Amino acid sequence: MHTKKMFFVLSIVVIMSMLLAACGKTSTGSAADSDLVKAAKAEGSLTVIALPHDWCNYGEAISAFSAKYGITVNELNPDAGSADEIEAIKANKDNKGPQAPDVIDVGYGFGPQLIEEGLVQPYKVSTWDSIPDESKDPDGYWYGDYYGVLAFEVNSDVVTNVPQDWSDLLKPEYAGQFALSGDPRASAQAQMSVYAAALYNGGSLDDVQAGLDFFKQVNDAGNFVPVIAKQATVAKGETPIILRWDYSALADKDTLAGNPNIAVVYPKSGTIAGIYIQAISAYAPHPNAAKLWMEFLYSDEGQNIWLKGYCHPIRYNDMKEKGTLDAEAVAKLPTFDGPVAFPSIDQINAAKALIADQWMSVVGADVK
Amino acid sequence: MAETMKKRSFWSWLWIILGVLYFILPLYSTFDFSLRAKKGVLSLVSYTNVFKDPSFWKTIEFSLIIGIFTIIVSIILVAPTAYWIRLRLPQLRGMVEFISMLPFVVPAIVLVFGAIRAFSGAPFYLTNTFFGTYVLLVAMYVVLALPFVYRAIDTGLAAIDVRALTEAAQSLGASWSTILFKVIFPNLRVAIINSAFLTLATVIGEYTIASFLVGIKAFGPYMSLIGQNRTYESSSLAIISFLMTWGFMGLIQIFNRGKVDSSSLAGAR
Amino acid sequence: MSSKTDTKIVKLGDAPKARPHHSGWRDWLGVVPFFLFVALFVALPSLTLLVRAFLDEENHLTLANLAGLLKSDILNAYWVTIKISLATALGGGLLGFLMAYAITVGKLPGGVRSSLLTFSGVASNFAGVPLAFAFIATLGRTGLVTILLKTLFNLDLYKAGFSLYSFWGLTLTYIFFQFPLMILVITPALDGLRKEWSEAAANLGASSATYWRKVALPILMPSILGSMILLFGNSFGAYATAYSLTGGFINLITIVIGSQIKGDILYNPGLGYALAVGMVIVMAVMMAIYYSLRRRSERWLRQ
Repeated sequence: MHTKKMFFVLSIVVIMSMLLAACGKTSTGSAADSDLVKAAKAEGSLTVIALPHDWCNYGEAISAFSAKYGITVNELNPDAGSADEIEAIKANKDNKGPQAPDVIDVGYGFGPQLIEEGLVQPYKVSTWDSIPDESKDPDGYWYGDYYGVLAFEVNSDVVTNVPQDWSDLLKPEYAGQFALSGDPRASAQAQMSVYAAALYNGGSLDDVQAGLDFFKQVNDAGNFVPVIAKQATVAKGETPIILRWDYSALADKDTLAGNPNIAVVYPKSGTIAGIYIQAISAYAPHPNAAKLWMEFLYSDEGQNIWLKGYCHPIRYNDMKEKGTLDAEAVAKLPTFDGPVAFPSIDQINAAKALIADQWMSVVGADVK
Repeated sequence: MAETMKKRSFWSWLWIILGVLYFILPLYSTFDFSLRAKKGVLSLVSYTNVFKDPSFWKTIEFSLIIGIFTIIVSIILVAPTAYWIRLRLPQLRGMVEFISMLPFVVPAIVLVFGAIRAFSGAPFYLTNTFFGTYVLLVAMYVVLALPFVYRAIDTGLAAIDVRALTEAAQSLGASWSTILFKVIFPNLRVAIINSAFLTLATVIGEYTIASFLVGIKAFGPYMSLIGQNRTYESSSLAIISFLMTWGFMGLIQIFNRGKVDSSSLAGAR
Repeated sequence: MSSKTDTKIVKLGDAPKARPHHSGWRDWLGVVPFFLFVALFVALPSLTLLVRAFLDEENHLTLANLAGLLKSDILNAYWVTIKISLATALGGGLLGFLMAYAITVGKLPGGVRSSLLTFSGVASNFAGVPLAFAFIATLGRTGLVTILLKTLFNLDLYKAGFSLYSFWGLTLTYIFFQFPLMILVITPALDGLRKEWSEAAANLGASSATYWRKVALPILMPSILGSMILLFGNSFGAYATAYSLTGGFINLITIVIGSQIKGDILYNPGLGYALAVGMVIVMAVMMAIYYSLRRRSERWLRQ
């Protein structure tokens, strides 16, 4: 009698502990915490800023996230620069409405400033350890999301002899055909273009002057068009050769679908990589939705969505080892075996200062 | 006299034609480009792509409605004020003109962030509800349109003898609202309608303020989103928005057609 | 006109005389709504501008931002912006005036008038990226007109030294939205020119030119000046068109401000706001000049 009872009780205890162990496992192990999902759904919406739909395939990321969790996504200013995003956080400190950005995606050099000014709150996604150390803040305040590599985007219907390297830009056959995709005093893409030119034309990561000199040469040769190049000006043939992040150039190539034909070429001597970083606003009105968004972006699913947009997701190497990369997307990603520079935050900020200061005097239009 | 008339006609037509050319050429170039979405052929596919996009209809409807409210608030705010200043407080004219020029020199991004800071917390809490946000949006647009509306109405007032009209009406026993709505406004009809045009155009295309207050719900941010990566659609969108705004203004014009041609009290013709 | 009471028979001498008016407190009531609105929606949001112009990155009071205004490249930026605003105000003002003349005094058919007015409404705000692209598509190296001139008249604009991406190219582009603005604003004033005046002048033997020089233009001058200052301000504050068309290569003050408070690179909002305060000062100076000009022109009109 006693043994039967004891056996019964023991079985219950064993079963209970097994159940508890099983529950415990799911609540700490997987990428999306069910508590987090519940809290995020209760908040109901997420406000993002500066996310064009064709930039790294953010359009798909937003709709996939929204569909998966039923959370509405408010999209503010898709054209915002990093400074706009920071100003938006500051201006909306007391605002719990849909104008306050929950999450931001800014340039690599802005990391320290975000922490200094108390604009972001720390959060470590469940895949935190697979993010390379140089690309994240150790305390979790910001973390790299993806990177791209600078390339020539060429309208190959207009420019039949596609330039292959930096020195080609000086050739007389390209008169009036080359432009930057931004103002180096305001656009990360344009600034990195000058930085990259420095690296492979006599400068180094700590000496950017050569980049300024190079562009002066291009300008003096009459090859430079002082306009901000976009997909439209490339397609029109007005600026058939531009410097762009490879993911943007490849996206352009897809959108234009042969009308005109676009060639994406990495300069042979080498190029530069640009990292962007994610962070959650310290004043986010929907902190749980923000955290869930991060979990989504840093999950295999989210990283593969970026990969489809031709961006290198930050967990690329980790996923490659684990074999979780989307094979189709990887196949579409162009390979480049030449040197790719990854400047540090300090190097970027030093380069910024010099380029912004000198740009007008070196290349500026002489206005009478 | 007939000679002068003919000469005048010639010059008038000449200037109009020159002006129309100036307008048409850039628009035609955009139009031509928008037809080339299919390689080698001219096609309207970039237009059908825009019309098929539900966001296009939602955002243009949103901005048109905001535009209408902005027109109403602008005119109700500015016209009586400009009239009153001319009539009773001429010493304020300089200050009000200067204020009306401020929206040109204060960057829109400063205005929108300043407005968010000022009105999102206590005691207004405007941004916590959609209605409040739209109120703030209309207010900011009235500010943006202020330079144009004030100048148009002030020019209209300059062309009529405000004092004489007012005193004549007063001597016949008219109340202030009668004077304003039945004497002054009818004489300002052209100025008011032109202000309405300027306001509507300002609202429909506006980007910065809308992008931070309501994001891609408004037409300006929607155009920017398309413009970033859809070359041909962005050109056709520019043409479409031009034509639709023109059409809407034509409606406003027709709505007032009956009284445009009738002689106003102090206007000529 | 309707009135609530029966029309009184007004005897001569009953009519209120034109008399200098002393503003009582009740007069000020009339402008309260406007000033309240301005205080709330113009002054309050702009306050950040003034305050942050005097703060540095650690939020301490400083005059360093304002001192930054005196650097030569900044002063140059103000000067270039003033130049382009003057050029487009005058150019756009003239073209707009002539077109407005054509549809008012010039007596073109009513259909032309109403289509021009509505078209001007839209065109006056066609600016920014679409306008820049429209002009690139017209006068750029591969532009429609450029190619037309090359094929029809063998004239290569760019070889001849023209470039859309220059001061004059930008001026041409700005004028696209300046002259319709002028048309809309000056039309009511031209409508106000009474036929009787030109007929009286003709009866007295004045030629059309004399009539314009001595009667019409003096009457219109305050309105013309007012419209030109509007065009000036419109151009002075323009940003998106210039940025898209010249990529920041022409040193306009709005672009310099933009690179400090927007974008990915620099971020010195204190300096940016100080620059904007500088713009307010320039605008104030231009308005002072405009007032003195207008006062002189209105002297003629005062009875």
